[in-house]
This record gives sequence, C-alpha cells and structure tokens, in this order.
Amino acid sequence: MPEMEGVVTIVQEGRFQLTDTGGVSHHFVLGRHALCETEQLPKLAHEQSRVRVKYAQAKGIIAFEAKRITLLDAT
Amino acid sequence: MTMVEFDVSPRARDYTQSTLKGLIPDESELTAGCLIEPGKSYGFFTDTTVCIGCKACEVACKEWNNLPADEVGLTGHSYDNTGALSSNTWRHVAFVEKKQADRAAAETGYGVRENEQAAFQSGWLMMSDVCKHCHHAPCMEACPTGALFKTEFDTVVVQQDICNGCGYCVPACPFGVVDVSTTDGKAHKCTLCYDRLKGGLEPACAKSCPTDSIQFGELSDLHARAKVRVEELHARGVTTAYTYGAPGDPGSTGDMQYLNAFFLLTDRPEAYNLPAAPTRPSNRVKPALAAGLMAVAALALGAVAAFAGAPRHGQ
Repeated sequence: MPEMEGVVTIVQEGRFQLTDTGGVSHHFVLGRHALCETEQLPKLAHEQSRVRVKYAQAKGIIAFEAKRITLLDAT
Repeated sequence: MTMVEFDVSPRARDYTQSTLKGLIPDESELTAGCLIEPGKSYGFFTDTTVCIGCKACEVACKEWNNLPADEVGLTGHSYDNTGALSSNTWRHVAFVEKKQADRAAAETGYGVRENEQAAFQSGWLMMSDVCKHCHHAPCMEACPTGALFKTEFDTVVVQQDICNGCGYCVPACPFGVVDVSTTDGKAHKCTLCYDRLKGGLEPACAKSCPTDSIQFGELSDLHARAKVRVEELHARGVTTAYTYGAPGDPGSTGDMQYLNAFFLLTDRPEAYNLPAAPTRPSNRVKPALAAGLMAVAALALGAVAAFAGAPRHGQ
C-alpha cells in the first residue's frame, strides 16, 4: 500500500490536506477503517505534527482514501 | 488632466491595508449586511432570475469545506458537470434548457434541440441548489443517533463523530440532499458553513456569488426581500415569478412550514428538479403503523374464522 509523509495543514470534518516534504499538498478523505476519528484530525493540524499516511485512490472522487495514519514525532 | 473622483465604498475605506492582523470582527455585517448572532434564524434566499450559472458557489463551497471533486467527465446534461447534490457536492448549479424540455414534453417525448434560441439566453433556467435546512427537518427526525441537529443559527448540521452511517436520513429527505459517502461511510450535506457562522463570516457560496443570486441573512429579512423582488418582477411583466419554500408558498407544504434556504423561481418546481409538494415522512408513521396493525388483525380474524368453520377430526 502506498504511503506518504507530511504535515496535516487543513482539516474539515473527515477530510484533510497533507503537505508532503516537497511542499506539495494532497487531498485525503479519512477511510472508514482508518483507526482514527474525525475529531482527532484538528489536533494534528493544530500541532503541525508529522504523520505517515497509508492510502489508496478513493473511488469516484479526486482524492486519496487514508487507510492508516501514524504519528511520526509524538510530542 | 483632471483626476476623476471615484465613489469609494465605506467597506474599502475602512480596510485600506492589504494584509490584516486577523479576522475582521463581524465581517458578515460588511459583506451580507447582517450581524450573525446565536438564537436567530439564518438562511439563504436564492433568486434564480439573476443566476448566471458561473458555479462560483460550487467552487467556493468545495474550497472552504475541502470537498473533493467527484465524477469527473461529461454528464451529457447541458453544461452541468456535477450532475446532482451528493456527499461531496453541497452546492449544485442546475442548467435547465427550458425550450428543449418543453418541446420534448409537448411533441416528441425526448431530446430535440431548438434551432433558435430566444434572445438574452432566456431559454435557460439556472438554479444553485443546496440543502434547504428545513424548519421541520425530516433527516433530523429520522436520525437514530442524534448526529443531525439544529444549530444555534437554526440550521441543520451532521456531527461526523456521531453519525454511524445508517443512512436513514437519505430517504427521509424530501429533496434528495443528504448522501452517505462510500469512502468514509458517513452522511454528508451542506452545513450552511457552520464554522464560518461561528466566526462571524458569511457562508462561502453567498459571499462568492457575483450577482447576489444567493443572499444570506436573517430569515425574516430574506422573506421581506423576496416579497419585494417578486412584486418587482411582476411589475416588470415576469408574472411567473414566485417564491418556493417561504411560509405558505409551494415547497412549504405537508407540514414543512418553511425552508431556511428558499428560492425565487419562474417555472414549475419540477423544472428545477424540486418536489412540487414535499411532505414530512414522520407524519406518515402513525397511519402506516395503524394500517399495518389493522391488516394483522384482519388476517388473524380471517384465520380464526376459517379454522372455526372447518370440521374437526373425529367428528
């Protein structure tokens, strides 16, 4: 499964934007089995935590489905 | 050469600097002419007669709410590339080619294009559709977890952390607005920019509308504004203009009372893909339950009568 590292920069409900190490932003939708709840996303964005996201291409939309989010530098 | 003095609006004069330290307090007072305060009713008045189909509202909605684009490609329906409201499209600009629709219905029953168009694109109906934020919201009544709730601004919002994706709200909505996402399995719809309202900002779609077809404000003000606009259009000869969703008007039927997002239309509601007489599904629960119980009772009585009349074994 492909994965991407970066910082969560924008959060709206279960949708978030991940800015990767190259400064490119990618659009993600939290998958239903992601072991992460929507209310946890704003904290990631607020703290600018580095995360690793395992993802797959979402069906019918131009976005990735986040399958697993791992915190890289827990504070 | 003499300098021409332009009439600079008070808004521009108040905020001349190009960068701001933070949010402008109560910005909606400047952009929409209304102060956003909890406890009051807010909504949209969409005047379809001035909609130019630019889709700025769709883009603004997607931008602010971080919604992904869906179903890329040609729909085959005029200039409409979004098709319908969905879990990822909370604003949808409908393009109705009126003459084609009329001709198809009257003559052939299917797709004949007009060779001649009326002047000024008057053969087109355009409408920016959205969640109606019903006064008696059927989606909210159907929700078993309480994920759908009425906010302090009298709007209807889905709480994503409480929604369990049962989908009861989807068939309950008389306008086909609510949709469950296949990606996250939760119900989504327009929030009337709840987060923006809390910050004193006008909703993104209304703020981006270049012709003010989408007007945001306090509901009583919007009703008064719509009434004046309908009278103005009637005086200009557009006698077909009427409001849909205002108290006592079409769209407020079946115990719906009124819609917080209401419209000014110039054709039948069905032409815009709106129901002519929406109803509250919860009002059908009691009669449906009573009919079911009566059917069970009738079947039981029939069975008793049939067995009572049958000869017994050994007699």
